[in-house]
Amino acid sequence: MRLETFSYLPELSSEQLAQQISSILGRRLVVGIEYSTAPDPYDHYWTMWKLPLFDTDDPAVVIAELDACRQANPGAYIKINGYDPGRQGQVVSFVVAQPAQVA
Amino acid sequence: MFQAGVREYREIYWDPDYQPRDTDVLAAFRLIPQPEVAPEEAAAAVAAESSTATWTTVWTDRLTTLERYKARAYCLEPVPGRPDQYLAYVAYPLELFEEGSVTSMMASITGNVFGFKAIRALRLEDLRIPVALVKTFQGPPTGIQVERDRLNKYGRPLLGATLKPKLGLSPRNYGRACFELLRGGLDFTKDDENITSQPFMRWGDRFQFVMEAVRKAEAETGERKGHYLNVTAPDCEQMLERAEFARQLGSPIIMHDYLVGGFSAHTTLSRWCRRNGMLLHVHRALHAVVDRQKDHGIHFRVLAKWLRLAGGDHLHTGTVVGKLEGDRETTLGVVDLLREDFIPANRSRGIYFDQEWASLPTVLPAASGGIHVWHMPTLVEIFGDDAVLQFGGGSAGHPQGSRAGATACRVALEACVQARNEGRDLAAEGKHILEQAARRSTELAAALDTWREIRFDYEAVDSPDVVQT
Repeated sequence: MRLETFSYLPELSSEQLAQQISSILGRRLVVGIEYSTAPDPYDHYWTMWKLPLFDTDDPAVVIAELDACRQANPGAYIKINGYDPGRQGQVVSFVVAQPAQVA
Repeated sequence: MFQAGVREYREIYWDPDYQPRDTDVLAAFRLIPQPEVAPEEAAAAVAAESSTATWTTVWTDRLTTLERYKARAYCLEPVPGRPDQYLAYVAYPLELFEEGSVTSMMASITGNVFGFKAIRALRLEDLRIPVALVKTFQGPPTGIQVERDRLNKYGRPLLGATLKPKLGLSPRNYGRACFELLRGGLDFTKDDENITSQPFMRWGDRFQFVMEAVRKAEAETGERKGHYLNVTAPDCEQMLERAEFARQLGSPIIMHDYLVGGFSAHTTLSRWCRRNGMLLHVHRALHAVVDRQKDHGIHFRVLAKWLRLAGGDHLHTGTVVGKLEGDRETTLGVVDLLREDFIPANRSRGIYFDQEWASLPTVLPAASGGIHVWHMPTLVEIFGDDAVLQFGGGSAGHPQGSRAGATACRVALEACVQARNEGRDLAAEGKHILEQAARRSTELAAALDTWREIRFDYEAVDSPDVVQT
């Protein structure tokens, strides 16, 4: 199974993930975190982890929220979105965590 | 009293003091008059013949108000380095055009005047379409953002491939080729423009096998997939019949060749797509016949503007780096006209007028033709995220086959996007980025070996005229 953008690359290291988050924040996009236990390409509405982080420009805050979401939902897929209010849509979205593969 | 006879066009249609109105349609023509014809007279003839005039005065002129309906040539500029050529600017009153009809604009502005004997050659370089006219069109059926939202694909260009060989595969084998590319990592596959409904593969059979491949690839990968089912047909009834069958099979996207099909048929299909929630991929077969030669025809930026009005969600624009004609700055100008809401005049990109689209939906440019993995850093740099990059030969030509070729493209794409987001310079570091990614991907490593030396470095036939200052 693949999960869209970056799913054909090796899993991002913590440092690489932080760089991607900095890029989202650097573009002044609003970060949102969503999770699901049953990803489906036709599903547009994963569960929101809190509200979008509207006034956050610190990557550490985003990473702390990702960790909190992961701890609260250990069996879930978690993705990070970058929302552009001007365009009224997401312009970035990729999965940052998935449950350990069961053989 | 009516005075019969022939008057010089410039007496009525050349008006250098005219101030264009915000509601006028403005045209920039590249004009080569016959040697014995003054440029003002030739420019006036273009305005006259594309609006109210014929070659002689007629008594019925007196039954109307020409001042209200006539076009005016209002400016002439010499073309740098070409003493026989001029840029002639013509303003057309809004009332000359039917609402929501590209066909009406074409018939007027690019009608008889191109065959006019007093003019040696004529090319429509650009057209300013006023907001008052733009608002009579609905434009693209879907638009870039809604396409991304529908398909759940964000933050990267989309990937496609035209199935090869262009002609001669059976429907079942064609579906196989499609399946391998989609499961390997492409978002879309595409019918070649030559594929309609030939005896070796009738359209209904193709649609069924291809949609099985699309559904199976979606189930296997967990990603949305699509195939541009070409519905270009001998007549509009069959075009709509094919579109309807694609919808019944659950296809998210269909394809049309807008220039060979014609603007009236295309607009019908675009409206059908909007009603049915269908994406519309638009191919441009015939365009180079009309737009490539610098002295004659209609520039592609005008054909692209007309497509945005008539409606399409993807449009082929050229790649800059691949096998087909396309000067870099000119191509970037066209890409802006498809994706932005306001495009300022920029002569270095061949854009003569400000163009305001007034929130008309956007079109995803499709880059296709002779591109392969080594081009990926440049393509990501040139096009950004909002494009569909199509690797036909560049995926099916992989030594391990289509699936591996598709994976190589996807890995290369994601590596370039990741690097760009990290602030790295794709132009300078592209080779290194690809080679690093290939250490973790045997598919990409083999693709890089296969196409290492393939380039298409020919001078463009068409490019903007810019005075070096």
